Amino acid sequence: MAPQTESDPPKPRPGWLQVIAVGRNPRVTLIRIAVLVVVCFVLFHYVLLPAQVDGISMYPTYKNRSINLINQLAYVWHEPSRGDVVAVRAWAGKHMMLMKRIIGLPGETVAFDNGRVLINGQPLDEPYETQPSSWTLPPVKLGPTEYFVVGDNRTMSPRDHTFGTVDRSRIVGKMLL
Amino acid sequence: MKMISRVIVLAALVALGVWLWTIFFPSPEKIIRKQLTKLAQDVSFSQNENDLVKVAGAQNVADFFTENVEVNITVQGRGQETLTGRDQIRTVALESRQEATSLDVKFPDVNVTVAPDRNSAVADVTVDATVSGERDAIIQELDITFQKIDGHWLISKVETVQGVSKPN
Repeated sequence: MAPQTESDPPKPRPGWLQVIAVGRNPRVTLIRIAVLVVVCFVLFHYVLLPAQVDGISMYPTYKNRSINLINQLAYVWHEPSRGDVVAVRAWAGKHMMLMKRIIGLPGETVAFDNGRVLINGQPLDEPYETQPSSWTLPPVKLGPTEYFVVGDNRTMSPRDHTFGTVDRSRIVGKMLL
Repeated sequence: MKMISRVIVLAALVALGVWLWTIFFPSPEKIIRKQLTKLAQDVSFSQNENDLVKVAGAQNVADFFTENVEVNITVQGRGQETLTGRDQIRTVALESRQEATSLDVKFPDVNVTVAPDRNSAVADVTVDATVSGERDAIIQELDITFQKIDGHWLISKVETVQGVSKPN
C-alpha cells in the first residue's frame, strides 16, 4: 500500500448507517462474524448443549420448560459422581434425552424401601428430596460400567417415571445450571 | 491471478461433480434415511382420511417390509408386541387408522450402519409418536434391520433397544 501524501484526497468517513450495519471496516467485521459463528458452533455443538426440560420428573429441582445447558466435557477427566444431574442418551441420539440424577455407581446394589434409597443396604442421604415418597423396589446390582439414574420427583408413581440402569456410554454430560 | 481463478473454477467443478454423483448414485445410507423419512410420513395419518385412503395408506406402510418381517417391540405402558409377516403389518396399520383419530410419527435421530457386503444395514432410530387423545408421546429406540432385495431396501426386522433398564 502506498503511503498517503499531502496531495492524496482524504478518505471519506463511512456513514452512520454503514457503521451500524457492517462496521467501519467491513472486512474486519466479516472476519469477526466468521470467528463468532465458528466459536458458537463448536461451543454449542461439542461443549455446551442447550436443552429444554420437558416433564416433571426432576421437579422441584428443575421445573417443566426450563432451559439448561449440558456440559459435555464434564466427564472427560473424571467419572460421574453420585448426586450429579446428568443428561442420558436414552434413545438413538441427542435430540431427545433424559435428565436424571445419579444415585448408584458401578458395582453397587441399589434398592428403594418405602421411599428411602438404599446403597449396598445403607440409606442414602438425599437433601434434594423434599417431598415424601413411598417407592419400594427390589435391589438391583449394577455392572462395572452401569449407573443407576432417577428423577427427583418421586411423588410420581414409579410406573409413570423413567428411571433405572444406564450404561456409562449413554451419559452425555452434566447439567450446568 | 489467472492461476488462482483456474484453481477456484476447477475446485467448483469437482464439487459439482461430487454433488451430482451423490444425486444420481446415492449411498445405501442416504437411501435408507430417505426410506425412513417416507416411512414416518406413511405411518402418520390425520383424521380426515376416507376408507379408500386408509386402505391405500396401510398398503404403503406394508410395502416397506419384507414378506417375512419380524417386529418385536416393547411399548412403555402397553407391553410387548410381536408381528410377523407383511400381511400382519398391513392389518395392524389398517386397524390403527380405523381406531385412532390421528397419529404423528417422527424419527428425530437416525444412525445407519451398512454391512461390509452392502446388502444389509441396521438403522438405530428414535421414534417419537403422538397419538391423538393421549397426553404423552411414545418415545422408543428401535433397531431396524434392512435387507437389499432386488435392488430395494426393505425392513426385515424391528427390535426395541432399552437405553434405560427399569427394575422389575
